[in-house]
Formats: sequence, C-alpha cells, structure tokens
Amino acid sequence: MKYSLQQDTAAKTLIVASMVYFGLALTLGLLVAIKFVVPTIGEIEYLSLPRMRMLHTNANLFGWLLQANMGVLLWILPRILHTKLFSEKLGVLTGIIYNIAVAAGLTGIVLGQVKNIEYGEIAAPFDYLMALSWVFFGINVIGTIAQRKVKYLYVSVWYTLGSVIWTTFVFITGHFLTQMPMVTGVNQANLNWFYVHNAVGLIFTPLGVATAYYLIPKQLNTPIYSHKLSMIGFWVISFVYVWTGAHHMLHGPITHWLQTVSIIFSFSLIIPVIAVITNFFGTFAAAPQGRRLQGPVPKLLLMGTVYYVFTCLQGPFQAIRSVNEIVSKTDWVVGHAHMALFGAFSYYAMAGVYYVAPKLAGRRLFSDKLGDLHFWIMTIASIPFFVVLFISGVIQGYAWLNPENTFVQTLMALKSAHWIRFLAGVGIYAAYFIFLHNVFMTLFGKYPGEGEDRSEED
Amino acid sequence: MKWNVERSLMWTATGAFLLFSIGAITTTVVPPLVDETIWSAGDHVLHTYTEQELRGIEIYKREGCVYCHTQQIRNLASDQRRYGWRLVQAPVSKSWEYVNQQQSFLGTKRSGPDLSRVGGKYSSEWHWSHFRDPRNMGEKFESPNGAFQSASIMPSFKYLSDQDIKDLTAYIQTLGRDINWRKDRNGKLLNDYEK
Repeated sequence: MKYSLQQDTAAKTLIVASMVYFGLALTLGLLVAIKFVVPTIGEIEYLSLPRMRMLHTNANLFGWLLQANMGVLLWILPRILHTKLFSEKLGVLTGIIYNIAVAAGLTGIVLGQVKNIEYGEIAAPFDYLMALSWVFFGINVIGTIAQRKVKYLYVSVWYTLGSVIWTTFVFITGHFLTQMPMVTGVNQANLNWFYVHNAVGLIFTPLGVATAYYLIPKQLNTPIYSHKLSMIGFWVISFVYVWTGAHHMLHGPITHWLQTVSIIFSFSLIIPVIAVITNFFGTFAAAPQGRRLQGPVPKLLLMGTVYYVFTCLQGPFQAIRSVNEIVSKTDWVVGHAHMALFGAFSYYAMAGVYYVAPKLAGRRLFSDKLGDLHFWIMTIASIPFFVVLFISGVIQGYAWLNPENTFVQTLMALKSAHWIRFLAGVGIYAAYFIFLHNVFMTLFGKYPGEGEDRSEED
Repeated sequence: MKWNVERSLMWTATGAFLLFSIGAITTTVVPPLVDETIWSAGDHVLHTYTEQELRGIEIYKREGCVYCHTQQIRNLASDQRRYGWRLVQAPVSKSWEYVNQQQSFLGTKRSGPDLSRVGGKYSSEWHWSHFRDPRNMGEKFESPNGAFQSASIMPSFKYLSDQDIKDLTAYIQTLGRDINWRKDRNGKLLNDYEK
C-alpha cells in the first residue's frame, strides 16, 4: 500500500505524547514531595517513595524532555535547512517505538524491574528499544542535513548533530556497558556518573540550546548577537563537558586524580556557558524593546536563560572540594538538578512547543493571555521551589557537620522547607494544566481566528 | 586560507566526535587501566555473597534504597564520626571494598543515613521491625515517644514478605564487613555480623 504522511506528522506525534508525559512526571513529582512530609501517604508497593522517584525522573527525562526536544527539532531542522524532513515515516516510527519503550519501561519500574543505574533505571529490553529509536532519530537528523538546500550549517544544527553523536556513546555507556559482568563497584559507579552527568550535559543541554538558538533570533526577529561566541560555545562544550562525571564522587572512593580532573573541567564549563548566555542576552538586548517580551515564547526563553545562568554558575562552584563538602548529598543537589532540567531546559522545551504548535495547526496560538498566565504562575512558583531546596541543602550540610545531631534531627530541620517545596510544586502543577489546555486547544480545539495562517514563514 | 567547518557535515560531525572522545576515553577507559584498585581487591579478602544475600541485593535495588541511602564514607571527618560506632570512627570507604559488587549502590543523596558501615550495628530483629514501621527507632531512643521519634521519612516496607525482609536484612548485615573496625571497650575486635 502506497501511502504518504502529511508533513510534520512526526513532530506532532512526539510533541503531543511528550505533553502527556510532562503531566505524569509532574504528578509523580508532587507525590514524592508530599511523601517527604507525610511519609504514610500511599503506603503500598506500587506507590512507594523510591519507585515514585525513579518514575518521576524517567518520565521527565525520557517521556517529556527528550521527546519534546526531538519533536520540536524535527520541526525546526527542515526549516533551518530549507528542505523537507529526510523521512516522515521514519520519524513517526521513531515516535511509536520510543513511546512503547518509555511506557513499558516506566511500567517496569513500578513493578520492580530496574537497573541499578541512576537515570538509567529502565530495564532491558526497553532500554535497547530506546537506543534503537535514538538511532532512527539520528538517521533523520543526518539525512535532513545531507539533503539541505543551504550551504552553511546554523548553530542549532551543530548542537543537534553533536547531541546525536555524543548521546549514542553516552547512552550505550550508561545503559549497557555498566551492566557488563567485569564492570563492578566503583568502576561501575564511575560509568554511571559519566552517563548521568552527560545525559544532562550532552543530551539535554545541546538539544535545549539548539532550540533556543533557533527560537530566540526567530521570535525576536533579530540576528544572533555574535557568531564567534556561538562557535566558542559549541566547540568548547564538546571538549569540556564530558570530563566532569566524577565530580559526583568528590571525597569518595574513586581515584583521586580523576576527581581533580572532574573539578578542573567542571570549572572550565564557565567558558562555554558564558559564551552561550552572552549570545542569548545580547540578542534579547538588541531586539526592539516594544515587542521583545510579547507572548509566552520570549518570556519562557528569557527565564530559561536566566535559570541556565544560575544552574551553570552553581555547577562549577559546587564542584570545588570545600563547597562540595557542605552541599553534596543534600537537597541542594536536588535543587540544582531541577533548576537545570526544569528551570532551564523544560522552559526552552515549553517555548519550543508554544512556537511549533500553532505552526503545526496552521493558525495562531489559542490564547497568548493563557500563555502569559501559565508563564507567570510557573515562574512565581518555581522560584521558591528552587530557593527553598538550596536553603534546606545548606542547613542539612551544616547540620551533618555536628556529630551531636542525630540523623533524624537533621531531617526534622527540613520539615518546613519540604512543605514549601510541595506547595510550590502545586503551583507548578496548576500552571502545567494551563499550558496543556492552551497547546491542545491550538492543535485540536475550535476557536475563532482560524485561517489566520502564519505557518509558512521561514 | 579559510577553513570552513560550518559548511561541512563531515567536519562538524568528526570534530564534535573527536573532541568528545578525548574526554570520554580519559575518564572511562583510562581509570581502570592505570588504577587497578577500582577493579581488583589486591591482597584483601572480600566477603562472597550467599544466595540469600544476593536475593537481598535484588530487593535493595528494586525498592530503590539507594535514592535515600548512600554507601560511601567519604574522606571527611563528619562522615567518619557520624557513621561510626559508639566512639569508634568509621573507616573511610576504599575502592577495593566495592570490587565484588556487581550492583554498586554508592548513591548521590542522603535522605536517610549512609549504610556502608551499618552491618552488625543493629540486630536483625531491629531491622525487621524498622522495615515494617520505620518510625519505630527501638533502642536508638530511650523513650519510644521521643521528640524525633516520628521525624523519619522512610517509607514502610510492610508489603514485603517476611522472607524478603530477611533476605534484605542479610544483605544489609554484610555492609562494611570487609574491614573489621568495631571494637568493644577492651579494644577487642567484634565480628558479630552473623547475628
């Protein structure tokens, strides 16, 4: 049967599925947060705190963030490269296989089928299936670049291409090499943290930055501030990021020189980060003042960049041994991870969804007002969410220094912080539903203003 | 001459891969090659896990204990004191101790105390009742209604079968046993992990 798919079906499939997972991930986050204050809630096997935590991270990383990024980039890449997607069918197949893998993997976690790899809990064979769909995505990216109608590769393309290459190795290391029989103990832990850190640094950072590098100049109708800075940012990050995994084991039982190497490179990360954010803020500053923050897309991009600055300045400093002594293993780390994956990269991904959804539907966004409302509620809730985790992390870190405090006493000190974290989480959760409603109305709903078509500008 | 990487798919891809691979190889392949303590115990004798303890490891993994309990005494005085026993400081964790762990659980977050030296500290009965009711600290506090009695946020593992709890406890009692560090008041080494 010969049968052709409409353009952008792949992007739409991935974006719609990712939106659903975002809701699931936030629900689980809220459940974990309430269990931190009232541990007796939901005392059954399939709702136990650690399983919910694994589910929360995996649903966020793979269900929402990676999937949304893939969807948005499958839309963006053909626009930058002035061509069609290499294969729409392969794209849809990627989406289907990927969603089967993630859904089955998450179900496995609830039922207790896990690997001992943080962020890599999804067990065989579904991790293999995820790797397969990543290869499909890679073929589509490289195929689209190969058939491009423009000479130059734009920054977003470098980052996407880099991510496709790096992630393949990072994913294989984390999910498969760690499970080999001769890889044990600290050696396994080292590979695990190589994976954990590079999952953030070489999957979500480049994909998020790629999205922002396209959206910021496009949305503001202003050329990117400096091409040189783009190059510095990209080439330095591709060299520097990968060395930092061992900073998760500072003061720990791993080889001492490896710890020092990870500290030095964690600190060097300031270079590409400053290059990227200078570029982003520079573009914002150069844009015409009147409309540079109109609607949800530029707001989310700006706030995402602000969180990117904070989280990426935290990183280098908390890798210093004396700072690490206080903040490591505490709530601080949780705050840091949330600020990167939720604050920076989910904001970029949400901006991407808000930008792409109207184009997919061929009409304007359902409501800019609701978009703004979503942005403000989420941002106002996320600030106390992060801040309270940093404060409680420092309290915890210093409380542990005094051996007279029993462990439960140090936990008691965090009670109010954990309540605030939960309440702020409720705000974020509420804002998500506005986002979902807005995007789904844009894609599937009925409202006046149809036919007001802006989809063919590129 | 202007070397134009940005026009070439090949050069961008190769460059990104080569730069990445330098760091990737140095931090993953090189460490085990130059530091054999991370895969070899050398002269140290390591405990061999029994069938029951191996089942316990699977339960430890499945129930996600590692997300709240680390298994590493870092090279910090605060860690050594906090996870010591009576007035004896806990020895710093060494990489050789982990060599026979096919499933490592070093962990990144402490919502509960570190467990790397917990073996033998509490009786298996204490663990049994603690798993079922984590707010019950038993002998840890003089009064069962002490101020911090209810502060623990550990989930209850009532849903585990008795056999599961026994297997899990058997594994937990092995933690830290490769270094015999707990001494009684006469300085005699205790080796009471089997209790």
